[in-house]
Amino acid sequence: MRLSLEEISKAVTDAAALLPRQGPITKFAFLNPLQGLEHEHYDEVMKYVGTVYGNEAYLDDRRYREKLWRGRIVESDLREVLSEELGPLSSDVVAGLTPRLELRLATLLHPLHFGERRELDWVLAETESLKHFRPEVSETQKNSLLEEHLRWTIESKHAAALATIAEQHGCTLERINELLTKHELEQLVASRSRETFYLSTLWRIIRNGIDIAENCPKRVPTENQVSKFAELSVSDFLSMTSDSRVDALMIQFTSAFLDQGYASSSLPGVEQGYWNCFRLLYSRPALLAPKWRRSLRKDLKVIEQAGLTPLESIQVSLEELQVRPPESAAFISATLLSLRGYAGMIWQTESRADLFRKSSPPGTLLEFLAVRLLLLTLARKRKDWTLNSPAKNSAAVCSQGNRRTIDSEQLAFILFELAQVLQWSPKAMSALSATQWQELTHELHEFDDHQRRRAFHAAFERQLAKMALRSFWIRTQELPVRPKTPTLQVVCCIDAREESLRRHLEEIDASVETYGIAGFFGVAMYYRGAGDADFSALCPIIMKPRHWVTEEAVYSLEQADRTRAKARRFLGSAQRGFQAQSRGLLGGAIMSTLVGPLATIPMLSRIMLPRTTAMMNQTARQFIAPPTITRLHLERTSEATAAPPTVNEDGTVDDCGVGFTLEEMTQMAERALRDIGLTSNFAPIVLLLGHCSSCINNPHESAYHCGACAGNAGGPNARALAMMLNDVRVRRKLDGMGLTIPEETQFIGGQHNTATEEMMFFDLELLPTRKIKQVRAASQLLAEAARRNAHERCRRFESADLRISNKDALLHVQNRSEDLAQTRPEYGNGSNAICFVGRRQRIRGLFLDRRSFLMSYDATQDSPESHILARILSAVVPVCEGINLLYSFSAIDPSGWGSGTKLPHNITSLVGVMDGAASDLRTGLPWQGVDIHEPVRLLFIIEATTQDLLKLMEENQTLKNIFRNHWSHLATLDPKTNQMYRFSKDKFVLYEPETNEPRLRGLPRAAKSRDWYQGRREHLTFAFIADSPNADAIDPKTSSSNTNAPARVPT
Amino acid sequence: MIEYTCGLIVIVAPTVLVLLTGLPMLLGFNVSERSLGRLTQLLVSTATLAATILLITMLLSDQVQYTLELGRWVDLPIEHFHFTFKLLFDRLSIPFVILSLMLCGVIGAFASRYLHRDAGYARFFLLYVVFMLGMVLSSVAGTIETMFLGWELVGLSSALLVAFFQNRVNPVANGLRVWTIYRFADGAFLLAALVLHHLTGGGELDVMMGLRPWPESACPLQQYQALVVGLLLLVAAAGKSALVPFSGWLPRAMEGPTPSSAIFYGALSVHLGAYLLLRVGPMLDQSPALQYIIIGTGCVTAIYAALVGRVQTDVKSALAFASLLQVSIIVIEIGWGFRYVALVHIIGHASMRSLQLLRAPSLLRDHRKLEDNLGRTFHAGQKSLVVVPPTAFRLWRYRFAMERGNLDTILDEWIASPFVKMFRWFDKLEHSWIKFLSGHRRVNAHLADDANESEAS
Repeated sequence: MRLSLEEISKAVTDAAALLPRQGPITKFAFLNPLQGLEHEHYDEVMKYVGTVYGNEAYLDDRRYREKLWRGRIVESDLREVLSEELGPLSSDVVAGLTPRLELRLATLLHPLHFGERRELDWVLAETESLKHFRPEVSETQKNSLLEEHLRWTIESKHAAALATIAEQHGCTLERINELLTKHELEQLVASRSRETFYLSTLWRIIRNGIDIAENCPKRVPTENQVSKFAELSVSDFLSMTSDSRVDALMIQFTSAFLDQGYASSSLPGVEQGYWNCFRLLYSRPALLAPKWRRSLRKDLKVIEQAGLTPLESIQVSLEELQVRPPESAAFISATLLSLRGYAGMIWQTESRADLFRKSSPPGTLLEFLAVRLLLLTLARKRKDWTLNSPAKNSAAVCSQGNRRTIDSEQLAFILFELAQVLQWSPKAMSALSATQWQELTHELHEFDDHQRRRAFHAAFERQLAKMALRSFWIRTQELPVRPKTPTLQVVCCIDAREESLRRHLEEIDASVETYGIAGFFGVAMYYRGAGDADFSALCPIIMKPRHWVTEEAVYSLEQADRTRAKARRFLGSAQRGFQAQSRGLLGGAIMSTLVGPLATIPMLSRIMLPRTTAMMNQTARQFIAPPTITRLHLERTSEATAAPPTVNEDGTVDDCGVGFTLEEMTQMAERALRDIGLTSNFAPIVLLLGHCSSCINNPHESAYHCGACAGNAGGPNARALAMMLNDVRVRRKLDGMGLTIPEETQFIGGQHNTATEEMMFFDLELLPTRKIKQVRAASQLLAEAARRNAHERCRRFESADLRISNKDALLHVQNRSEDLAQTRPEYGNGSNAICFVGRRQRIRGLFLDRRSFLMSYDATQDSPESHILARILSAVVPVCEGINLLYSFSAIDPSGWGSGTKLPHNITSLVGVMDGAASDLRTGLPWQGVDIHEPVRLLFIIEATTQDLLKLMEENQTLKNIFRNHWSHLATLDPKTNQMYRFSKDKFVLYEPETNEPRLRGLPRAAKSRDWYQGRREHLTFAFIADSPNADAIDPKTSSSNTNAPARVPT
Repeated sequence: MIEYTCGLIVIVAPTVLVLLTGLPMLLGFNVSERSLGRLTQLLVSTATLAATILLITMLLSDQVQYTLELGRWVDLPIEHFHFTFKLLFDRLSIPFVILSLMLCGVIGAFASRYLHRDAGYARFFLLYVVFMLGMVLSSVAGTIETMFLGWELVGLSSALLVAFFQNRVNPVANGLRVWTIYRFADGAFLLAALVLHHLTGGGELDVMMGLRPWPESACPLQQYQALVVGLLLLVAAAGKSALVPFSGWLPRAMEGPTPSSAIFYGALSVHLGAYLLLRVGPMLDQSPALQYIIIGTGCVTAIYAALVGRVQTDVKSALAFASLLQVSIIVIEIGWGFRYVALVHIIGHASMRSLQLLRAPSLLRDHRKLEDNLGRTFHAGQKSLVVVPPTAFRLWRYRFAMERGNLDTILDEWIASPFVKMFRWFDKLEHSWIKFLSGHRRVNAHLADDANESEAS
């Protein structure tokens, strides 16, 4: 029986959805690594990721317990989580001993030995665990237990107790049985440690009990509805389909196939596609091929003679590997996932061809699979590779997750420890019936490793959500704060990194207003800067722009521009020659002999004096850089259709398709302003601030840029929007639409460098003279805010002193970005945890610790059908969720979901990085980018009514998937009633704050942000920053409720 | 006196550094990242300074060779055998030791920031200082035994650094491969040392190479003696410098953190084989046959590295083969007798390649800048718009290069595997022989059992 061709190609398409969605690393994509599974519930998916991906779903037990000790997880949350999920079952008394909830809670709260079998053997042999009580048992409890135990022993003369005494005293059981008097027994027990006696008896009873439970007929697990994803989780397919020799060959060939132009000689026949190219190369005779694939040539010949297509070859290979049709989907996805980086990249080259210089035709992934399976059949012919018997596999299909199985000894020991913690006496335990023992073991099996970690994770998220909701609730009960006549309005990206900058701006000057908007400012475009060779897409990765914009030198500087371009070309050719030659034969010899020693100069200066070197480089570069005065080619006539510039045959450039029409510009301008609710009360200066980041020697540079601009700098978008809004024609049209911008209002585009805190402003030469004073003041304000922002960021860097001054902090962050050896130029969005969509004035003054994405939205200005909210959320929710989940998963399993440590990264084919000499392509974020991240799902707090959101979830499938399947948490803030609701189990629940302080006093308060964070490196509670004299000043050190004060002492 | 002090500092400073880094780890103390970094910087700069002062003093006093004896440890006058610990500072070793110390210092400064917060920070620094001590020892060694000691330290620390990320399979497997090849080379080195002792009674490099200072030649060895010793040393050098047929390990060694790759395979370690040949340069003059063999090995490696390097798609492998190419040219120069050229080539190449390797993560940015400067994009397949089917030769060449000439397969299947099989056979033979001697009757039956056992193992 073989699988039909259609079924195979469908299985491949389905499997492709599971692959990492990482295009070229220069266009870093912040997407949920499990985006293809968003249509299923988060908890369901997490159950199976272990077996399908081989990655962790949650952090390690130990990490959660550490959080428990440090108070980042609290017991009451654990209790809530458990009781919510158990529902009525939570008060059931398990085996007549303890309510289920308490039992589960005990396994979470106490560090029991869930480790491996070998660890347990060591514990039993080397520690005093059978001699002394666990530290949780207090002295008084201990005494009463021992008393009671002694009484019971004497009264009941239970066999287990007597056997223990016999063992302790090295005599036979018969002898003990003869000592029938109470006094004799008492004496005998008293002569040895009573504690040991108690514990040994307990241990004996439990071991017997487990044996009883195991001899009983097993309970048949109830048949759950198995999701489609669960069917793919065949536990050993992932390891069966990976073979180091096959991988090595696939890696070599696929990197050559993907190469975007690094290798000096390209793969011959690459244009014929993956499959044909492979056959071309490997059907040639080759000496000395490794033994396992000596017959490859013969096999390829057979395939050629039979005229097999890749699809047919897959069919044949599957048959040869004895994969049975019901499991073939799982087998195919495992085959692709076992080399997921390359498979994913191949899939991207065919599905997102616009991201690559060299893309692949559709069907390449199928060809990749065909080659892989062919090689696997070859590897399998060797005796060291075996496919397990099909029967075993089908049994494994229904097994759940990557749970560690525990044997009876381990089970007994966990029960033994629980019995101490929960004070189940030997008396009570000895009275258990066989069914009760079974109930106990069943309960422990049920609440296994995965379930425990899930509960921990949920409680951890809950703690953070509670803190956030409480702060938001208290803050929003107050009236909104909004300056009557704003002097400056700053529109930033929604990025969590801009939260602190905005807060500092507002703190320095109360008349400043800030707004948040998706960092591409609603201007989706392919953009080419003045010195750039190529266009880049400046819009979220999920969109494809339809317009092209170029930056050009102003007319008067065109001549200079041409001269400099020529100089750059000359330098470029020289560079290129140098690069190629230094790796070549003669050139390399001559160069290394003559110029080689000179290389020590840049090396020394780069490493010893990074900043000076960078400044010198910049100065030198000024002579050939494009002129600083440029314009955006932003407008095209309404007749022309949008198109990239083309070079005609006579050398002239045809660029009439570049830019937007006036109509389009007006639409974008209106939409941007209405989105953020900036429609009246305009300040004289409105600053639109995109952001970028700079660092060197870092393949992941793009991950630090603006996520809403597909990993590019967002300045050009801000600049474009500012130009549109300054255009009088646009303003006239806007006026007609009821959106009046006062004549005095000037829009300025700018760019914030989130690494160096440098601010750049565009088109200042166009500024009217009367505006200069205001702009100068604004720029000074921004500079001060940047310094404070740098200082706040420095508290996260271990290499920066906690007592650093503002000025040194700025120098410190600038040095980081110029340092060749720096693997953490900045922490990006590393601390993200929530996303607020609503009016800034509702939460102005809240210290959100750079943990919140902030999107401005004014529900009071929205249409009754909430059109604005619909379009905002359709972009903001997937973008922020993608950023959050990529960070979270990368932090949960840095080498599984993330790309591991940066240290051995090796750039390959100009598309990605490998670990060391050869490995799968590493996708996700590097460990150095997530080491401070706390993995939690994003909590959206949206200022809108619950009805609106329910309606939007029905209309928009993406929102529905994300919120209903809990890939992100959701809460709302009612714009009118100020009530907050949490979205849980498909409905909104009114949020009831656990505080009696309705006023701001319920929040910790500080006069300045700095007073709140100073001297602390860890995540902080949200606080209210206000410089009001009658506010109760609270000392941040003493009031921090749950951040650094250890709530529980580690045992 | 200045020479003595400086010479001593050059060797003592790295030794102290090894002790100060290693002992606290051994005793279970935690040394902070910062103090470890500072300590390294201090001692490395001290040693570099001492070496520079030594160079200046010797230049001023017109002294071309300075030997520093640190005791005669073994002396057997009747057997004409002695072992001394002796350092030799001359026109070859001083530049090389300054280069080693300087590159180590730079890379130490780099690594102290690059490895910030990594769990293996202290382990990296320990291996790094052991490596540096080994480099210094082998550069200034005055006797072949001293050199071997340094050579071993370099080998050990290199293999462990390749396997730095010990929780993944590939680094450990590749580290083991590097280690195996190093051991093979070490065996040849040790044999050469033995033969030398047998021929000259001692291992002094200066005596062996004639009493005149490097690079002038007055080697007391006979032609055939030079050939035997030289061939053994060539095998040692080929292993260490990844010459054909040992080239397979070089790209595989790129498993460690970037700075270790830079220092070992770009800069220092890979040149150590060439340095050895350079050190015994005067001896090579004694045997033209030896010279031809060295030039031949160099040429084959050069062609191999040039071919293979062209198809590498990842930056570190490409740089590894570029390094190999230059090393093989250096070997050719040595075989030819251009010793100063070779020395300058080593220094220049080491500096340039370390910078390139440290900057390897900048590739994407550099590439983009290059395109921006050129004002156009370039990528594979753009050059020829007309698709020409590749010729058979091109396919062969590409496949040869992509599979790296299957050198590893040759070593595995033709040398390692028969070697292992042979020893298994010896083992079997020994077992049956012992059983026979101990009076077992059913020898044949047990032979069969043993065969099964060794198969199973």
